[in-house]
Amino acid sequence: MADTDTRPQRGVGITGIGVVSGCGRGPEALFDAVLAGRPAFGPVTRFDVSRTGTGHAAQLPEVHGLASELVEVIGGALRRARLDRDAEPSGVVAQTPVLLAVHSDLRIADVTGQVAEGIAERFGSQPPCRVYTGACVASSTAVADGAAHIRAGRHERVVVAAGYLVEPDTFAVFDAGRALSRDGAARPFSKGRGGLLLGDAVAAVVLEAVGAARRRGVEPLARLSGWGGAGDAYHVCRPRPDGEGLARAIGMALRRAGAAPEEIAYVNANATGSPLADPAEAAALRRVFGDGVERLPVSSTKSVHGHALEASALLELIVTVLALNTGRLPVNAGFLEQDPECRLDLVLGEARAARPGYALSVNSAFGGANTALLVGAA
Amino acid sequence: MLARACWPEPADDGAAPPAVPGFIVSSFNPLVIEVAERCLRQVFGEPPAAEPRRAAGVGILLASAGGDQGTARALAEAVAAGARVPPLLFFQSNPNAVLGHVAARWGLAGPVISLGPAATGRGETPEQTCRLSLAEALTAAAVLIGDGDAREALVLAVEQGTVPGAAGDRAVALYVAGDG
Repeated sequence: MADTDTRPQRGVGITGIGVVSGCGRGPEALFDAVLAGRPAFGPVTRFDVSRTGTGHAAQLPEVHGLASELVEVIGGALRRARLDRDAEPSGVVAQTPVLLAVHSDLRIADVTGQVAEGIAERFGSQPPCRVYTGACVASSTAVADGAAHIRAGRHERVVVAAGYLVEPDTFAVFDAGRALSRDGAARPFSKGRGGLLLGDAVAAVVLEAVGAARRRGVEPLARLSGWGGAGDAYHVCRPRPDGEGLARAIGMALRRAGAAPEEIAYVNANATGSPLADPAEAAALRRVFGDGVERLPVSSTKSVHGHALEASALLELIVTVLALNTGRLPVNAGFLEQDPECRLDLVLGEARAARPGYALSVNSAFGGANTALLVGAA
Repeated sequence: MLARACWPEPADDGAAPPAVPGFIVSSFNPLVIEVAERCLRQVFGEPPAAEPRRAAGVGILLASAGGDQGTARALAEAVAAGARVPPLLFFQSNPNAVLGHVAARWGLAGPVISLGPAATGRGETPEQTCRLSLAEALTAAAVLIGDGDAREALVLAVEQGTVPGAAGDRAVALYVAGDG
């Protein structure tokens, strides 16, 4: 990375974060857990799981309803960005678009309506201007769109929020599809992995033009240096085994940032513990980084916080920002034994110190959808 | 805009869209596939679509205010009754899946994006709601193409009728390209 910051002020920063997850409330609880490699999975108590093959998930002990939790984390992100009404009475929040990622089900109209009411009442915000429903890349797609708006000069700041709370219908359908791990753990990239485990996550970030933030006296937590999206064009739900689509998405993110592969110091992987998908992701990383992948620290923190579906990409972006800021890399928990098809430099056992560089967060979903978000120092 | 297709068209005469192996219980996914097929055939003829370099720049965007209500209802009813959930429902449990089917059949390797209810709200009929969803998807496609991750896009809007089944279902597919 260059010593002299010649990057244009239309660069996109992340100035606020708010999050609750199965690890607890707030970013500290989340980051402590991922640094310790301490999985948050436990017996599901929120609903009856006696008819499913697994009974584990990463759940908060108490939740207040998805819409209510979304309004709260948006408030947390605005406070951190000093955009709450106390710090910014000018009403700038009313002009800040909100992009929302949630699961598409029979409740979506109610949830989005309640979020709209809540953010109007609490923050003076307009209703969410776009709702993203694209499964595991929904919130990363929203982040990329938000960044595109800022880079193009259409907005100075955008709020991106996403939420998923483990509930009976998705739990049952994932179980019916044999996607859930049955040994109580999620084991990304490990031999003996048996699928994913679901987890609660409700998260929000404030994306802001770096110059606009600094004019307000706010220093971004990190810079969203690059983003990219590409498809596999391969299958309804299986990824391309050679990882070509994800590799293209990563390449787009690197090109936007003007970053070379060797400048990437950490990858927060999508890997869910899927027998088929984890090797495809390893192949994608090898396509991009070549032999350098063997010296590139990688971890999937789904091994700790679980898979939060539409909210997972945003949750993992927040983890990636915290890793970049602290220089400490989260653990890839649940690991048993190396899988020859997933030969990566996994962060195992304990957190690792990071070398200077960018941090990359990648996500993949049904339909061959792939996204990559590249985070750099502010 | 390079092509436009709709469901239903007069020739459909009240029939349901053709069933597609692997997709069950709901008209949503066959509807997406059929309207996409009608649109893409106008642009490319037979699948697969254009040569790989062009196809890598074609994004697919789907907006639906209601989403796949047929699948959501079938799942909710099975769970509420304590009945067995058909495993195939997992593979259609989110809208990306059917977009992957279209992408795989036609070789479209750009970004895959699914959107929910537009901020402009719902219309009073599936037709009105479909128009609002189409506007939503087109706006998102413009952002995608303007930002550079796609050069062209298949833009879909699909709304199921309020009565389960094909009656009242509406769908539109547009194929758009950037100016550059």
